[in-house]
Amino acid sequence: MRKLASVFGGTLLLTLAVAFLARDATASRQAAPVANDSLVAPTLTASDSAALKGPRQPIFFRHDIHAGQYKINCQYCHYSVSVSSEPGIPSMGTCMNCHLVIGGSDSSAQREIAKVRESYNSGTPVEWNRVYFLARYAHFPHMRHINALGPNACATCHGDVTRTPQVFKVNNVNNMGFCISCHLERNVSRDCSVCHY
Amino acid sequence: MDETQESGMDRRRFLTVLGVTGAGTAALSGCSTDRVQKLIPYMVQSEDQVPGIPTYYASTCTECASGCGLHVKTREARAIKLEGNPAHPVNAGKLCARGQAGLQSLYNPNRVRGPRKRLADGGFADTPWADGVAEVAARVSAAGGKVAVISGAGRGTFSDLLAAWTAAAGGTVVRYQPFDHEPMRAANQQVFGVNGLPSHDFASARMVVSFGADFLETWLTPIENQRGFAASHGYHDGTMSRLVALAPRMSLTGMNADEWFDIVPGAEAAIALSMAQVILAERSSAPPDAVALRGMLAAYAPDQIAQQSGLTADQIRLLAREFVSTEPSLAVAGGIGSQHAGAAQVCAAVNILNYVAGNVGKTVRFGADLEAGDGYAALAALQRRMDAGEIAVLVVHDANPVYALPKSAGFAAAMAKVPYKVSTALVLDETAALCDLILPQSHALERWDDLRPRAGIRSLMQPVMEPVYDTLPAGEVLLRVAKAAGGALAGLPSGTWDDYLKAQWQAFGRSRGAGDLASWWVGVLAEGGVYDAPPAPSAVRLAASAQQVSGQSPAFTGEGEFLFAPSASPMLYDGRGADKPWLLENPDPVTKITWQSWIEVHPETAAELDIREGEILRLVSASGSLEAPAYLYPGVRRDVVSAPLGYGHTNFGQYATGRGANALDLLAAPGDAAFLPYVSTRVTIEKTRRYQKVAKTEGSNRQLGRGIAEAMPLAAAARGLTPEEAHHEAAGGPAHEINTPRELEAIAGFAAAQKVAATKGNYVGDHPQWGMTIDLAKCTGCSACVTACYAENNIPTVGESEVLRGREMSWMRIERYYEGGHDGEPLETRFVPMLCQHCANAPCEPVCPVYAAYHTPDGLNGQVYNRCVGTRYCSNNCPFKVRYFNWFAYNKKAFPEPLHLQLNPDVTVRARGVMEKCTFCVQRIRGAQNEAALAHRPLRDGDVVTACAQACPSSAIIFGDRMDPESRVARSAADPRGYHVFEETNVRPSITYLAKVLHGAEA
Amino acid sequence: MSHAYTPSQTHAEVTRDVVATLGAPSRGYVMMLAGAVGLFLVGLFTFVMLLKEGLGLSGYSPPIMWSVYITTFVFWVGIGHAGTLISAILFLFRSQWRTAVYRATEAMTVFAVMTAGLFPIIHIGRQWIFYWLLPYPNQRYLWPNFKSPLLWDVFAISTYLTVSTTFLVVGLVPDIAAVRDQVSGWRKKLYAACSLGWTGSDNQWRHYTRGYLYLAALATPLVLSVHSVVSWDFAMSIIPGWHGTIFAPYFVAGAIYSGIGMVFTLLIPLRKLLRVEHMIVDYHFDNLAKLTLFTGSILFYAYAMEYFVAWYSGNTFEQVTFWRRAFGPMWWAGWSMIICNAFVSQLLWFRKIRVNLTALFVISIFINIGMWFERYVIIVSSLSNDYEPWAWGQLNPTWADWGILAGSFGWFGMYFLLFARTFPIIAIQEIKETIPFPRKRGGH
Repeated sequence: MRKLASVFGGTLLLTLAVAFLARDATASRQAAPVANDSLVAPTLTASDSAALKGPRQPIFFRHDIHAGQYKINCQYCHYSVSVSSEPGIPSMGTCMNCHLVIGGSDSSAQREIAKVRESYNSGTPVEWNRVYFLARYAHFPHMRHINALGPNACATCHGDVTRTPQVFKVNNVNNMGFCISCHLERNVSRDCSVCHY
Repeated sequence: MDETQESGMDRRRFLTVLGVTGAGTAALSGCSTDRVQKLIPYMVQSEDQVPGIPTYYASTCTECASGCGLHVKTREARAIKLEGNPAHPVNAGKLCARGQAGLQSLYNPNRVRGPRKRLADGGFADTPWADGVAEVAARVSAAGGKVAVISGAGRGTFSDLLAAWTAAAGGTVVRYQPFDHEPMRAANQQVFGVNGLPSHDFASARMVVSFGADFLETWLTPIENQRGFAASHGYHDGTMSRLVALAPRMSLTGMNADEWFDIVPGAEAAIALSMAQVILAERSSAPPDAVALRGMLAAYAPDQIAQQSGLTADQIRLLAREFVSTEPSLAVAGGIGSQHAGAAQVCAAVNILNYVAGNVGKTVRFGADLEAGDGYAALAALQRRMDAGEIAVLVVHDANPVYALPKSAGFAAAMAKVPYKVSTALVLDETAALCDLILPQSHALERWDDLRPRAGIRSLMQPVMEPVYDTLPAGEVLLRVAKAAGGALAGLPSGTWDDYLKAQWQAFGRSRGAGDLASWWVGVLAEGGVYDAPPAPSAVRLAASAQQVSGQSPAFTGEGEFLFAPSASPMLYDGRGADKPWLLENPDPVTKITWQSWIEVHPETAAELDIREGEILRLVSASGSLEAPAYLYPGVRRDVVSAPLGYGHTNFGQYATGRGANALDLLAAPGDAAFLPYVSTRVTIEKTRRYQKVAKTEGSNRQLGRGIAEAMPLAAAARGLTPEEAHHEAAGGPAHEINTPRELEAIAGFAAAQKVAATKGNYVGDHPQWGMTIDLAKCTGCSACVTACYAENNIPTVGESEVLRGREMSWMRIERYYEGGHDGEPLETRFVPMLCQHCANAPCEPVCPVYAAYHTPDGLNGQVYNRCVGTRYCSNNCPFKVRYFNWFAYNKKAFPEPLHLQLNPDVTVRARGVMEKCTFCVQRIRGAQNEAALAHRPLRDGDVVTACAQACPSSAIIFGDRMDPESRVARSAADPRGYHVFEETNVRPSITYLAKVLHGAEA
Repeated sequence: MSHAYTPSQTHAEVTRDVVATLGAPSRGYVMMLAGAVGLFLVGLFTFVMLLKEGLGLSGYSPPIMWSVYITTFVFWVGIGHAGTLISAILFLFRSQWRTAVYRATEAMTVFAVMTAGLFPIIHIGRQWIFYWLLPYPNQRYLWPNFKSPLLWDVFAISTYLTVSTTFLVVGLVPDIAAVRDQVSGWRKKLYAACSLGWTGSDNQWRHYTRGYLYLAALATPLVLSVHSVVSWDFAMSIIPGWHGTIFAPYFVAGAIYSGIGMVFTLLIPLRKLLRVEHMIVDYHFDNLAKLTLFTGSILFYAYAMEYFVAWYSGNTFEQVTFWRRAFGPMWWAGWSMIICNAFVSQLLWFRKIRVNLTALFVISIFINIGMWFERYVIIVSSLSNDYEPWAWGQLNPTWADWGILAGSFGWFGMYFLLFARTFPIIAIQEIKETIPFPRKRGGH
């Protein structure tokens, strides 16, 4: 039925297309983060995460603390981003490298870190909620982009996570226009079969 | 936005399914080091799976007795493709369709998901491993030695353990494979006093005569044979070897023969002896002890046996002279398709022929000690004991005798007499269904194991992933049972199966004087085993009993004017392939029929009986009858009917059960014969007047002189003529240009316009132009490439009903065209692998209204699935008809859990309503380009190998960059034999075919 | 009545009779309308199933990737052409006899094109993104491929629909006004609105006739262009049996032929149904039949020429295709096309047949069937045996094919019948213009 609707709604879509175009144009990429040495993440508790943008995660993991305040390199956790098309989700072991000793400053943090340890000891993984989801017929080799644009290029698509307590979708990576505009700018291939196969 | 998002399983879903494993956390599911211990990846020197980067493990194929080496491609700790292990001496990196389909037995939805116990009501119920083991232990210790094991496992550490185990339990082991070549071993015993199988060197043989040995399909080690055959029979430097096939039915091997004689069934031995007689009579330099045979052979002078053989005396003489004059030559016999009661004599006669021609020691090498079981006789003996109630506990492992033996043999009844039966079956097959307890073993890709397929080769298997279901290696079960049973069995090692196997290998390592065992072990795992050079051929002499070899043709039981000669299916083998969609949908290389069994009748016979294709015939023999649709096949004798083995399972999972008819139903009980004579009974044909559409992929089997499958005489090829020139020489008259001057003008203008277009946007600059050459002189039509393509590109199997509408999706298809066959001229078969030609001037591109079909800068015919709206004009406009449309959501039906785990995460799973086609494995191209870019180096020739080229056992397919004059593809495309299909349409294909080369002119 | 026909009524009578057609519907009419709606619902159901399950429901069997749907598409586009020919071209030629029939044929045109327009959507694999065929700015920076004949088609059809609709509506204005003056109550209001304030003043007439003339001139080239473009859907390909240079004229002739066939099929019953036998008389049918004979003969020539070219080209692919067209597995379709079109049309040499409405009606049925089969043969039989013999196949249509075909007739019939009851199916004032002067006094 959804399809039936969209067939007849297709014409409507058509008229809206121009509007779409305008909107996508404005939804341009955010500026790369300015290296600011005095980044202090705000104190928030897990209960605040509801108010924050983006999906709530089983553990209130703070990119702004890890990547911002403590300036941990992205690739420390997302270890395969420069060698593989997949960025790599850190293993619980990776978390424990630090959280074996770091137990958290305030009670809220302690509760969250306790979850990490618990999951590591019980051998049950934390099931993070996916924030960025590229259409399956599009292939995005992370390593090519990291190697071309440098290790801090993450922000080009994912925004400045050093300032976001809870990661949310800053760019609609499912909009082909988002990729194309960048490829046009840098005059790299726009050949369809580079991404679609 | 559209269905592509709903499409089954691919990269993203993959990661989701695997949870965080995608990031390689060891402690979780998948390839975890604590559960399956240390795994040494073959290429990536990392113990972790890096998400998005495939990891390869070396292993061994168990789909037949050859013991080919595997490379298992895994992604995110899931096996997604099987390829040959280049280091392995048997298959040298190649793999047949059956071997590749092993993946579908790993992920088969019909697998037994855990130990199951028979209930009073006859059904099965789950039971914990502990209970199952305890129960078996109790039974075994209570059996008091009345224990028997039927095992289809190849020779290796497991079979050693099994022997020790059974001995300790005071029982007997029967190692049984349905296709076990008993006649050959009997013959070797009789003629040379050697009870074993030699290796055959097809690569160096300049002439091969096959007495019904289908060595390209199921005979001994098909891949190895095909590699050798392609090497010698493929055309190079003006020469090629010669193959003559003598058999009542033209098998795939017969189709590849330069000459096929439809001899009288059973006359093989007489002909072989007759050839030997001619050779001995005319040749002085025969081995001295062979001269003693003169007397015995006198009875087989060509003139005597000409009448009964189906050959003229002159043909036999000619054959014999050629056979002995072209050195080295090779005669082979013992194929399933001509395994009649006299098969042992045929093999013996062929042994003599090889001996007198001086091939023994050259192309026939004894001492290779190829893997073989105990044979049918041993099984029959066991069955008699079962009947007599002398067996209390029967363990069936890797074997399905209830299916593999004719019903008339009454094996099922014998099993009923055994009080307690245990099976380790992967799938609940006919035999397992009769058992009281099923302890499913882990698949070969889920366990540690090894094989010794022949002297000097120890081939390892390692677990490449977590078991899909709650299964255990059979060895583990044996050890646990032993532990539980105590008594004599307690003597067995107490550790786990994995410890046991490791221990064996360490002992082996020490025996080879390996210094640092750990690093030696790493090396072995990386190589996939230990491969010593084949032993020097052991010298053999004629045994006294060689004198008793007789060319008597066997008696065929039953009346009826037609002899029934079942054929061994290249896809289903002994029937174990019948539960794998890939093999069912991959058309039979000879008849091109999918998903159905059939009855082959010669067209003239059919005309006499007024049989049309698809009429359901009933074959009736003394022992039974079978019904299947008729297929008119000019490659079968007029007085012979044939049907494929491997169909007609009564209990083998959703795909196999009830599919087709079981050819074995017609056979009489073999009694105490030494082997199962497949060709033994005469049948009558009954017409049912019912019709059924045959699910074959062949439209017209004649190419109507359209130059699709070109061929040229050896002489012409040797003189460096092009196929075109060869034609005109044959037809007389000068070679003419395909296009008129006016057309050429237009073409030139068009090319110029294209050059201009190629200086815009993405097309600026130098790009590789991907291309392929396919050597028809090497292609045997084995269809390994087809399955490789299915596996690599997530091609859905559509099933019988859709194939009937011609909707099969196989991007790569093997077209089989006949030439001749009319009024006396011999029937010639030509195979053409047909896939997207990636035309430089492609008709499909301009007609697509949305640019879903377009030309990429690197010379591919791009097909953007997510852009396709499905007008299908591209397919209409494609002269090669290589574009395939998703009429339904095939991706939803074709990959039921857990088959979807086999999907290649790098390839989009196509949704319904979109067109798809061969992409030259663009995902492999992009992958290689990414790798090269990371390494800051340009792409090198050979960096990209398409799935079909990788699999092709004949190495007939070469892929690469046509722009690089040094590339293999560019050089082979320059071969004068090269031509393009439908040249006159000026579509400029990127695929160059090299014309097949025919003997004949000089023969 | 071989001489030019002159109506025997007064203006008043004309108006009365025509307005009478808008009176209470007869039982026959209601039943026909019900039938049409029923067929339409069948088609609608089939389409929903296609959306749900996939195109596989219909009988497509590769290599035949286009079959009944495209056949029916071309069929309906063809039907459309007679209308514009009669209403526009014959108008420019001042051929008097068109007046009685042109309104009906023009309505037929519009509805036929409306029907045809649905098929490009129905037949594609992912109907829900059909709008990708249209050029519109989008965030993907993507445009359709203007080289593709299918895209030309989209433009051809939409243009044709727009122009012929305008032409019909403009022609209607004075007549609606006439009706307005005859009826009362809410209907008067309705017609008043539709008549766009037509008073019939000299001034209005002067502009009206000019405008009408220009519209006719505008519509005329479309008669040739639209079906030429449709023919290029095939002629631009490389498929034997498709890439003929004669396709454009061949298709246009066929289109007009089939169109007039449909005119017969519609008008002969309709004039009875609406009791206007005295206004549409065999004089009109005689002339229509002559036109049929002419276009039919062009088809005859085209068929012959196709075979000749296939033979003369020496191109084996062409030769095999045409041989199999006549003697292959689809011989029955091939011959029914030749007999129904080339041969049956020749009967119209005889005046007796031209003025015998029963005969004409039977012949028109033959023409409809024949022209549908012509497209079926061109599309299906050419695809079933092209270059690659290994891929050859045969088509077995299924209920889904017939469902959509039936639905298209329902959809068309529904609109046509509704139109015939709502608007004057006969052009009132153009008839009046043909009434000789003296009679006018009889009116008021």
